Amino acid sequence: MTGEHGVYLYAVTRGAPRLCLDDLTGVASRPVRVIEEGELTAYVSDVPLTEFGEEPLRRSMEDLAWLEETARAHHRIVEAVARSAPTAPVRLVTVYHDDAQVRELLRERHSDFLTVLARVADRREWGVKAYAVQVPAQPAAPEPETGPGTSPGRAYLQRRRTALRGREEMWRTAAAQAEKLHDALTGIAAASTRHRVQDPKLSGREEPMVLNGAYLVDSAREREFAALARDMTDLEVEITGPWAPYSFTALPGEAAHDDSVAR
Amino acid sequence: MSEPERAWRLRTDPEAVERDLSRLVLTLVELIRQLVERQCVRRMDQGDLTDEQLEAVGLTLMRLEEAMTDLCARFDLSPSDLNLDLGPLGTLLPKD
Repeated sequence: MTGEHGVYLYAVTRGAPRLCLDDLTGVASRPVRVIEEGELTAYVSDVPLTEFGEEPLRRSMEDLAWLEETARAHHRIVEAVARSAPTAPVRLVTVYHDDAQVRELLRERHSDFLTVLARVADRREWGVKAYAVQVPAQPAAPEPETGPGTSPGRAYLQRRRTALRGREEMWRTAAAQAEKLHDALTGIAAASTRHRVQDPKLSGREEPMVLNGAYLVDSAREREFAALARDMTDLEVEITGPWAPYSFTALPGEAAHDDSVAR
Repeated sequence: MSEPERAWRLRTDPEAVERDLSRLVLTLVELIRQLVERQCVRRMDQGDLTDEQLEAVGLTLMRLEEAMTDLCARFDLSPSDLNLDLGPLGTLLPKD
């Protein structure tokens, strides 16, 4: 059995499954089933090792079309599970040898999982991205010019100085505002984390991103949270979510998921 | 790799080579020009250049900028063509 198939793990929840698994299609168009161990339930699919084995996976991961399809399926299952119960999503393409190995994980990290799941109960993750709005360079205070007619070289340097300063100033202001916004949002959220800001090519926007935050918010405070994010600063703000708590379910001793690329 | 390596093709028609080479050279010149310009602005702020020095260096930079504009036009390049994309590091030159 282990020669042909691996067990792909999507997410872990507490208690018996509360959703209909028949409606779900997982990665590689495989059905989704559960493995129950103690108080925990793992959502898994059996996947062919010809595609998900260690060696083939290395090649598959470079195939962007494959990666996108797999990520979508993974995300779809995680979202469905997260709608039914507090959920700890597992990193993309986590494949175990067999059921026994998954059970072992659930047994060994039982209390860690329960802690994480208690933390995300009744809370959802929201993403807040803020972009520096390009302010047209303001004409700086009149320089003590010596008249451009007499010294064009000096006038040129002064013009450049104004332009450079304007840009620096814009950055400083935007960064300070992003800092304030993050602090305020963290005040409302149960937990928060900042991901690396994205390059314009990834964000698809020309303005530089100054904040890429993830916030775990009580369902009851979502409105308040969104209003604050929208109105607090002059920054261009983009709110995404609700997400399954991808950024807040790393088990102790495990690096946080860096999903800044995925989103 | 079991797949046969696909042959690399270089476009060797003289015009393409000349344009690509000019683009590379102009990119480097523009990078250095901008670095020097920033350094001059800094030194102007510190006040350790005499008026004559400031005027000379300002004029030189200004003429260089004009020359760059001319050269770009001659090789049919726009300022964004000179901005190498360094991937995760962003672009070589700041976007104005």
